[in-house]
Amino acid sequence: MAQKRYGLAIDLRRCVGCEACTIACKQENHTPPGVAYAKVIKQEVGQYPHVRRTFLPILCNHCEHPPCVAVCPVGATWKRHEDGIVVVDYNTCIGCRYCMTACPYGARYFDFGDDYNTPQNDFEQQPSAEYGKAWPRDGGSPIGNVRKCHFCLHRVVRGEEPACVVTCMARARIFGDLNDPESEIARLVAERRHFRLKEELGTEPNVYYLL
Amino acid sequence: MRQRSLAIAYWATLSILAALGLWAIYLRAVVGLRLTNLTSLVPWGLWVAFYIYFIGLSAGAFLVSTMIYVFGLHRFEAIGRMALFTAFVALVTGLGFILLDLGHLERFWTVFINRSPTSVLEWEIHFYTLYAVILLSELWLLMRRDLIRAGQEAGLRGRLCRLLALRSTDLSDVSAAADLRMVRILGTIGVPVAIAVHGGTGAIFAVVKARPYWYTGLFPLIFLVSALASGSALLTFLTAFFARRKDAEHQEMTLALGKLTAGFLALDLIFLMSEMLVGWYGGVPDHIATYRAMMFGPFWYVFWIGQLGLGALVPLILILNRRTGRSVAWVGMAGALIVAGILGVRLNIVIPPLTVPLQPGIDTAYPLGRVSSFALDGLNLLALRLGLLALTLAIAFLLARLIRLPTTTLGRSAALLSAAAAFTAIVFVNLRLADVLPAAQMALPGSAGRVSTLPLLFGGAVRSTDPSFYSPSMWEWLTTLGLLALAAIAFSLGWLWLPLEGLPELPTPQMRRFPGFNSGRGNE
Repeated sequence: MAQKRYGLAIDLRRCVGCEACTIACKQENHTPPGVAYAKVIKQEVGQYPHVRRTFLPILCNHCEHPPCVAVCPVGATWKRHEDGIVVVDYNTCIGCRYCMTACPYGARYFDFGDDYNTPQNDFEQQPSAEYGKAWPRDGGSPIGNVRKCHFCLHRVVRGEEPACVVTCMARARIFGDLNDPESEIARLVAERRHFRLKEELGTEPNVYYLL
Repeated sequence: MRQRSLAIAYWATLSILAALGLWAIYLRAVVGLRLTNLTSLVPWGLWVAFYIYFIGLSAGAFLVSTMIYVFGLHRFEAIGRMALFTAFVALVTGLGFILLDLGHLERFWTVFINRSPTSVLEWEIHFYTLYAVILLSELWLLMRRDLIRAGQEAGLRGRLCRLLALRSTDLSDVSAAADLRMVRILGTIGVPVAIAVHGGTGAIFAVVKARPYWYTGLFPLIFLVSALASGSALLTFLTAFFARRKDAEHQEMTLALGKLTAGFLALDLIFLMSEMLVGWYGGVPDHIATYRAMMFGPFWYVFWIGQLGLGALVPLILILNRRTGRSVAWVGMAGALIVAGILGVRLNIVIPPLTVPLQPGIDTAYPLGRVSSFALDGLNLLALRLGLLALTLAIAFLLARLIRLPTTTLGRSAALLSAAAAFTAIVFVNLRLADVLPAAQMALPGSAGRVSTLPLLFGGAVRSTDPSFYSPSMWEWLTTLGLLALAAIAFSLGWLWLPLEGLPELPTPQMRRFPGFNSGRGNE
């Protein structure tokens, strides 16, 4: 298996909308206010007494044809050839935010440099471990950069699953290699009915929603 | 005497504004984008709107100059250099705005080393560079002989012109004819480059398939046409009021330029109508939602009053009307109104499409709304308030001088009315910038529960509950006003010191004779 294609399947029948993925993601990546790589759209459908609450967890789709990558003027964001993860190089990004307008899924966030506490508390002072490096929150990058979900690349290279997947108590999130026909995600996508977001745009998302 | 006090008021206003702006720019460089009201939902705001606005003014003014030097519309020859100089100042201002907007502005130069051939923005930055070279070369060639002549004077102006003449000393007619030929060649290259500069700036938006409002083939063309309208309108305004030689010829040229502007503006309106009709007919939800935000959202007046009313309808009437259309002053004012109105066009291009959520519920799934988390305190705040007070006084002084300029009764009353309106708005804005206004609004009797229903004039005073709501922070406004003042100062200094007027006093250009070649007529 040379080339991997990492993807995520989200079982909508299992998701209970607890937002544990949102929290686990924020904790893992030390994201500031206004940055949440994983989040859950919660909506009410129907009218009383026939009401239902629907949950749609959203994150970066790591598209096969990501519109955000092509527009970057400095090539600071790209789709990794070896595993298909769309990453941002914080040291190259100039912070023009063109990719944020180009992403059809709103999966990119700008780090404005806000903090939850002034002065920062102990947790905020700890560096973020994204992309296998330590990013202290002291005014430099990733402040002033665009940030996005990277399937917890620093965990994946260690052989671990993304934080949101590990934390999901309903086991609604299944992470794996879509190129490996024996993987759980490939079998689920083959067997179950599913949809992807905004498929009409031709972005070929790698996040599948199982119905 | 009156001219002198007007000049004092003018320079005082500009320098106070520039000083405040430079301070705000310094703070922005140190503090970062934290002091903006931008969010991850609306990542582009006031600065990007001003960036495309000034690139448009630049491309428009340049294309007007090519009409003279490439397409041979010699009746506009007197404004040729002014057009090129304006284009250059506008280009630099536009690039200043986009520089302000970068999250890491110290890395701006890396666009030249980190290649990304698929990015329209990357292509544009190269086009801007090429375009700046063409602009400056043309301008220099056209001014060269006058620079040499002015360089012989003593004093500051002479020294500046000597420096700018770049050691060129050739005053002969032959060299001037060669200059003009070169200008023609550069202008010819410049036409596609200028189209790429602003059409391409439109393409930055048009290639974004995530936003249906931008994603149309007409979008780059709208950029071009509105650029032509704003560029020629700016030149109409400048030549109407700042030309040194005001004779019958000047009047005829200004009025013709006004007519040209009206034509471009009408074309722009037709394009707008086409976009809107197709958009509304199609009924694609995101597309319609953008129009709703633009026409009936919290900033509805930018579209109806700014873009359509004062920016299109009123100037069209002023230019095409038989009475005011013959007066240079009225046509010049129409130009100023169009220049201001196109700003509304630019704001509505950038902001409303971003306020539409990409998917229902995506804007409220996680709290993404934010406001500037930077505020001044103590002495800094006092200094800011004093600066704004000084600015208000200088503007009052300037307006008081300006309203005395018109000669007709109609002109006087119009000037008085608009000065009163402008001053009210300026006081309002300054109160807002001084951070006094929100407190004042909160203190209004009965406003406690209904703060969000108060008018959002110039924005930022009251934040609506919509997470996608964006209105610029006071820092965005201050930096913007500062850059505007710097642009006005640069233009004024150029107008004072550079030989921007005057025609190339040449006999008809000589046919170039090549040795041993007799234009196919055999041996004479």
